[in-house]
Amino acid sequence: MIPIEAVLGLGLIVFSIGLAGVIVRKNLVIMLMSLELLLNGVNIILAGLGRHLNSPRGSIFALFVIIIAVSEAAVGFALVLSYFRHKKSYDTDVLNDLKG
Amino acid sequence: MITLAVFALFGVLAVVAALLVVVQKNAMHSVLYLAFTVLATAGVFFTLQAEYLGAIQILVYGGGIVVLYIFVIIIVNLKEIVPERRGLIPKLFLVGVPVLLCAEVVTLVLRTGFPAAPAGAGEAGLKETAEMLLSSYLLPFELASVLLLVVLVGAIVVARKEIHR
Repeated sequence: MIPIEAVLGLGLIVFSIGLAGVIVRKNLVIMLMSLELLLNGVNIILAGLGRHLNSPRGSIFALFVIIIAVSEAAVGFALVLSYFRHKKSYDTDVLNDLKG
Repeated sequence: MITLAVFALFGVLAVVAALLVVVQKNAMHSVLYLAFTVLATAGVFFTLQAEYLGAIQILVYGGGIVVLYIFVIIIVNLKEIVPERRGLIPKLFLVGVPVLLCAEVVTLVLRTGFPAAPAGAGEAGLKETAEMLLSSYLLPFELASVLLLVVLVGAIVVARKEIHR
């Protein structure tokens, strides 16, 4: 039997690494990858809690999170491609058109 | 005991690969480590007896999203990448935020203790998952399919080339 604290800790560490990637990196594609890491951490925690509480809800919620992650990736890539076509770069420093 | 050892193995692999995703300079290397993380996470799901979730993880993430990332990196010219101009001190400061968050939640979890499963709780097998997904959660399930359709159309509209006549 896996202790629930270990599962929560693992999910939290993956989540924190993803958060660090989102706020530290400036490459748009790597930021999107870090977002996937964030959602993966949440999924680990959901699956672990479902196992701990003997409820199928953990898996079901994690399934919905995966669906949202897929949608986010698709729209994010469309935005990256369309932006790249205009600016010829995907560094976030170039994304300052709306800066006041 | 063996389950715990396998869980620890996959967990360590997932954390190491996740770290490598974030620190790589080359985006293509990051994608390969992301695939590694995804597969290790699927292993974690299998040890947690969420077999359906593990299979979906491999199919959707490993087969779909990772390939999509590779295509986008191939389409977007890699030579355009500018080196990161952020200094070391701001970087360390930014890394401090998730580290603090992690430490805070770990302290909370360890000091509170987690309640055991309530008595008389149901099973969490594949059959129960399927029954609950298609009865109690039928509406969100259908809405998810509508969302996927909207995303399909939206991604095409955003990414297509503007044609001026």
